[in-house]
Amino acid sequence: MSDTPPGNRLTPEALAELRHNLRTPLNHVIGYAEMLLEDAADPTLVPRRDALQRALAGARDALERINSTLGATGGAGAGEVSRLYEDLREPRDRIVRAIGDLLPAAEASDPGFTSDLRKILTAALRLIPEDAPRVPAAPEPAATRSAAAPSAATGPQARILVVDDGAENRDVLQRRLERSGHAVETAEHGRRALALLGERPFDLVLLDVLMPELDGFAVLEAIKGDPKLRDIPVIMISALDEMPGIVRCIEHGAEDFLHKPFDPVLLRARINASLEKKRLRDQEVEYLQEVGRVIEAATAVEAGSYRAGVLAPVARRADELGRLARVFDSMVLQMKAREERLRDQVRDLRSEIASARKDSKEFGVSVDGGNLRIGERFAQRYEIRAEVGRGGMGAVYRARDIELDEEVAIKTLRPEFVTDRTLLERFKDEIRLARRLSDQNIVRTHDFGEWGGVYFLTMEYVEGITVRELIDTRGRLGVSSTLAIATQLAHSLAVAQEHGVIHRDIKPQNLLLDDAGVLKVMDFGVARLAERSTSVTEAGLVVGTPAYMPPEQLMAEAVDARSDLYAAGVVLYECLTGRLPFEAASVISLVAKLLSQEAPSPAAVNPEVPPAFSALVLRLLAKKPEDRVQTATQLLEQLALLG
Amino acid sequence: MTRILLVEDNEMNRDMLSRRLQRKGYDVTMAVDGRQGVEMARAGAFDLILMDMSLPELDGWEATRQLRAAAETRTVPIIGLTAHAMAGDRDKALEAGCNDYDTKPVELPRLLGKIEALLGGPK
Repeated sequence: MSDTPPGNRLTPEALAELRHNLRTPLNHVIGYAEMLLEDAADPTLVPRRDALQRALAGARDALERINSTLGATGGAGAGEVSRLYEDLREPRDRIVRAIGDLLPAAEASDPGFTSDLRKILTAALRLIPEDAPRVPAAPEPAATRSAAAPSAATGPQARILVVDDGAENRDVLQRRLERSGHAVETAEHGRRALALLGERPFDLVLLDVLMPELDGFAVLEAIKGDPKLRDIPVIMISALDEMPGIVRCIEHGAEDFLHKPFDPVLLRARINASLEKKRLRDQEVEYLQEVGRVIEAATAVEAGSYRAGVLAPVARRADELGRLARVFDSMVLQMKAREERLRDQVRDLRSEIASARKDSKEFGVSVDGGNLRIGERFAQRYEIRAEVGRGGMGAVYRARDIELDEEVAIKTLRPEFVTDRTLLERFKDEIRLARRLSDQNIVRTHDFGEWGGVYFLTMEYVEGITVRELIDTRGRLGVSSTLAIATQLAHSLAVAQEHGVIHRDIKPQNLLLDDAGVLKVMDFGVARLAERSTSVTEAGLVVGTPAYMPPEQLMAEAVDARSDLYAAGVVLYECLTGRLPFEAASVISLVAKLLSQEAPSPAAVNPEVPPAFSALVLRLLAKKPEDRVQTATQLLEQLALLG
Repeated sequence: MTRILLVEDNEMNRDMLSRRLQRKGYDVTMAVDGRQGVEMARAGAFDLILMDMSLPELDGWEATRQLRAAAETRTVPIIGLTAHAMAGDRDKALEAGCNDYDTKPVELPRLLGKIEALLGGPK
């Protein structure tokens, strides 16, 4: 349209191009809408047909308006083009609204339909370019003013009330305004004006200042004092010598003023400016109300009371706020679906735990050979109830903390380690670190002490079984249960990594499951601050359980958070397949296999494992740390994608 | 089935027109520019070609001239589609070798009428 100087007629070429540019998007709207109508023959799809018909009607209306303004034979000037653009806004908005009515439901269920609806929307929005010239005198379609008044969409430009006691003034104003396309009513005094305002809606009031009985000030005050009326703009009409009165009116909320006798151009300009201001104000109010709805929805999400679709009215908007509402709604839906899946996974895990408990011998019974006796009161505070396990560093007992009257676990350090000052230092270090971790997926560490030459650690006691016991009883675990374990394990590692803590000994024996299916990682015992590991570890000293160790740990090279992710990978591999990725009789042969072979994929061992889950486990088992999933948080994200 | 080659660079036009023609029973193949259009037309046996005139690479007029010059496509009916409803465009399209011509945006019933006039409807 660069070749259309204002006021000039368009050249035939420019006219043809303009016609084409306007008709192409409409043709797209019509074409897609007709196709979708053909597809919606089913009687259950009446609402869909109805909305598509509305879009079609809007497009055909727009075409008619284009053809009548830019008919093949007639010419058109820049003024007509601007007015045409204004004229097209109303049918365009009808198309957008009709499609907006269909989109939320379609997005939830029918991608093909949604894609075509979006094409219609895109085409409709292309109809009027962003930089289309606006005509200041343009009628403002009711559609953009307020969705509640669509009937006025093609009606008069504005409903104006003229209040003047002079019959001649009323008549002149009424005729002028009607000639501009407005709907005008008149009142000869203030009381009548207020009565009319109470009866029906107006967009603008022209108000004489000097009137008998109830004068302009009083009427203005009444309008501005009434919540239902105060947003209607009021233009005061006055004689030239009433300046102080005009100032007073404007201070009381009048929009503008006009002097008698009226200059027609000024009259039109001021009325249009007031109407435009009102339109913008209305739009702003509507916008703010819809922003309020989005904020309410966010609050509802926090409170857990969000209902899907509650934002549908906002989501229909074609602007950024509409987009925000649509994205928000679909994110919440995804989140809910994810929570739902997690609940299902934990439920499956719980039923596996229950079966394991039924099928197996009792877990957690006393075994002999520890350095504490059952029934003994230890450290003047703990009554030893049972030995519940034994690890590389010592034995674990269930005990009663007499002081706090609660169950605790006590882990003792094997006597032969106590002579080793390096080990003792390491143990103290690990406690300081572990005490920082507080999370439902991590066994809490309480205290470290020494009694009668026995160094010991007290921890939260968790009634449950280890993943080791679960695998041993069940052979292998279901995919859903494994996902429940994976998600909780990844979460605990993410918490640890946030605190700079590396576990170094993730294995099924260290993963406890309570009856509710909550996984708790214990023995953040070998862990030490990453940056201190090299200074404390003696070269070549392997800490941990070889089968779950990554190559770098087996070779006593630098270990970081990614080493725990490797171990998590081995655990998940074992859960899914009942086997280790590499079986070996000795550490040496394990290292040899690890370095020379690739583990068979979990899906190859157990066809029930989905390929994506299988691939994720193999990525955790990458030999080079840089080829693995890099952080526990990333692992959580990847698991979320699996379902 | 009647085979139509649609040469059109605008994605939405292509998507819509091809789907609408398919619904009417035509087998539609698509090319996205003039050069591809000429290659595909010469390689495949089409009953009719719908040729957008403003195309990248090789415009529709030139593509039509090339198709008219090649033995294997000399007699395939071509309907030119032009954006500008200017009087001269019709002559330009026919001059290049189009059998008929239609203006964009395409109105389907009108275009179908022209296709059927040239072919006698989908087979």
